[in-house]
Amino acid sequence: MKRHQKLVLAGAMLLILALAATQGRHVRHLRESESFYRWMLAAAVNERLFQDESGQFKDKELFEQCNAASQKLAGLVPTVAAVAKEQPKAASEPPAAEPGEVSEIGKASQEYKNDPRIWALARSNELADARASFLKLARSRQLRFAQDIQYAEAQESGVGLFNLFFGFRKVAANFIWIQVDRYWHQGENYRMVALMKTCTALDPHFVEAYLIGSWHLSYNVTAKMMDTPWPQRKWDPKYSACVGEKEKYYYVAINFLKDGIRNNPRNYKLYFDLGFAVYKQKLKDYQNAVKYLSEAIRQPHDRWVPRQLFICQELNGQYAEALAGWEDYARRFPQTSTGQEVAPRFIKRNQGHLLEKRAEEAFKAAAAATDPAEAERLRKEALKFREQAKDIFMVLGSTEGDALRMRIEATELAEQKRYMEAVAVLDKARWESAELWDDLSHRIMRYKADGNLPISLSEQKEMEREKDAGLCAGMPEQERQRVQQKNAQLN
Amino acid sequence: MGAFIDFFRGPWHIAVYTYREGIRKKTLIGFLILSLLVIFGASFISSYLDPTSETDIDLKLIKDICVATISIFGVLITIFISASVVPGEIENKVIYTILSKPVRRIQYLLGKFLGAQLIIIVNLVLMGFLFCAALYMRQQVFPSLLLWSLLLTYFEFLIISAFTFAVSCASTSAVVPTIIGLFIYITGNLTEFLKDVQNRAGQSGKWFDDMIGWVANALYQMLPNLQNFSLKTQIINGQPNDPPTDVLIPNLMAYGTLYAIFGFLLAWVIFWRKEV
Repeated sequence: MKRHQKLVLAGAMLLILALAATQGRHVRHLRESESFYRWMLAAAVNERLFQDESGQFKDKELFEQCNAASQKLAGLVPTVAAVAKEQPKAASEPPAAEPGEVSEIGKASQEYKNDPRIWALARSNELADARASFLKLARSRQLRFAQDIQYAEAQESGVGLFNLFFGFRKVAANFIWIQVDRYWHQGENYRMVALMKTCTALDPHFVEAYLIGSWHLSYNVTAKMMDTPWPQRKWDPKYSACVGEKEKYYYVAINFLKDGIRNNPRNYKLYFDLGFAVYKQKLKDYQNAVKYLSEAIRQPHDRWVPRQLFICQELNGQYAEALAGWEDYARRFPQTSTGQEVAPRFIKRNQGHLLEKRAEEAFKAAAAATDPAEAERLRKEALKFREQAKDIFMVLGSTEGDALRMRIEATELAEQKRYMEAVAVLDKARWESAELWDDLSHRIMRYKADGNLPISLSEQKEMEREKDAGLCAGMPEQERQRVQQKNAQLN
Repeated sequence: MGAFIDFFRGPWHIAVYTYREGIRKKTLIGFLILSLLVIFGASFISSYLDPTSETDIDLKLIKDICVATISIFGVLITIFISASVVPGEIENKVIYTILSKPVRRIQYLLGKFLGAQLIIIVNLVLMGFLFCAALYMRQQVFPSLLLWSLLLTYFEFLIISAFTFAVSCASTSAVVPTIIGLFIYITGNLTEFLKDVQNRAGQSGKWFDDMIGWVANALYQMLPNLQNFSLKTQIINGQPNDPPTDVLIPNLMAYGTLYAIFGFLLAWVIFWRKEV
């Protein structure tokens, strides 16, 4: 080969090496931006749903820096869809941030369709400083939502698990999970939690580990445990709730699922399990159930997810939302058995509840009205609503419709101070519907108390228990007053 | 156009011949059978889990184990093939017969490299097919994300293959290039440490310490980082239409191609000076 050919070849090699190195820099930039993007989504979810903060970490400051920088960008206008309905505030959790308090990135992260915009923002030059701060803070482990091995060990320290596994950390996580499963079958629950956390640290996108782990904690571990009586519970500032030995597991499960949501904010299953499996089924906290199920339907989800949301909305007294939801569901899936058989039943039920609620409101307004004519008009309106509700429950039929209709009849009897008859009707009604058992039993106790009727020993005990419900040692005074007010309203 | 086709006709024949010869190698078949057995066996790993729980965890186990198996056995096949195609012909002296024909060295080398790639691709497709079948039998849905994962795996192999091939051009036996190929794979996964060396260098203030940092940074910028391809394990259990993944895949393909071209040019330079 001639000399000039050698030079051409050397030049070509240098050029290709330079191009490869440049592409390498670009890929590195993208991978760092990807880490930054995933942290940004986690921080946005935390801001919007959990407001979980810790003084030692710098996530909040960095997220504020990101938001400040993003405001210069016109492209990041969130398209918050109509699904963002007003959510009631949770009792045991800090209140959800008001729409005005949620940052621009927080609002944008609400809809998964905005992900390309957030990704564009994460790799933009405008956020170069924030990105550099992110990498620096993640390396020094000062970011709570960037604590997994992927960030820390790969970028900060020397020999780490990340590199030794050559990217096969997920396989290691799987084998650890098999060990978790084995411990579960051996009954060694205390060993499971630590291993489950190791498993999700190795693979933060191991969604099944979060789901099954939280299921073990909230269902299986606690299956043979009795509910802790309220006076024996203690206030736990970590969970902002009164917890006993059993309830602690529920909150460990909640935190585990929250970690899962931060790491996988676009997986509806995690929101669903948090809302349905833990808050609805275990804690009977319908406000939080609605909050997380509403979030689940914002992500790409299966058809049965909104159904649980509507049921929780109904249980939470949001009849109008539940009704609208069921009507929409029946319209969208008219050919399915749920659309044809189940949805019409729930539509009727919510229509009845809504009329019942309107009747109650009209009665209250009539009682408060100073003008007798206006009071009479409102009373007539209330009676009309009540009759309409009864008609709907009659059409609804089945034992459930009968029980709901009898509940209204008992209310009417109680209003006429015919407490004995009201109790008799309710006693019959509660055997018609297991779902309404608790509600109807409470009404029986109330009417017995109002009518000075004899109260059974078990009812007396229940009334005593209700006085302490929601109260425990070590509660903050403000929270104690709130619960006492709520108990007074119920009784 | 005619000259272009003429230039590639020779390499193509050599590539096909290399493929036919390579695919019959017992070691290669051994690796392939082992990998297929592990992929097949992964379907039974769920027997370790609670049979009553109806979860997708067994599916995840199969995916992760299969991706790892394809990576491990795939890299072994890649290294073994790339290290042996040229030294094998030097050992059995076939190379002298070929180079005495009107075939330029670059054409010969290109043919050998393409042949090695054909073998790697065919093996990858075979393993991928069984993996696909295992997943399809479980979930009755075609695992489209798996194809992206396999594609990234191939581009990772392409880099390893090109550099191992370059080393093999300087050797007369396949043993040394195989060992160096493994070394390339391991060090390629540890490139991130160079950044760590750079961060720690310069603390004593001595010129030698500074220089170590400078050299580490230069190597960090120039050497391929195979950890970038760990995205292949991330994709498989991820969500479709993940914006970072969509951007990273074509960039990683370009990254792999550029380093592969450099590796091939390096092989050419080495082979060009070789006395055969």
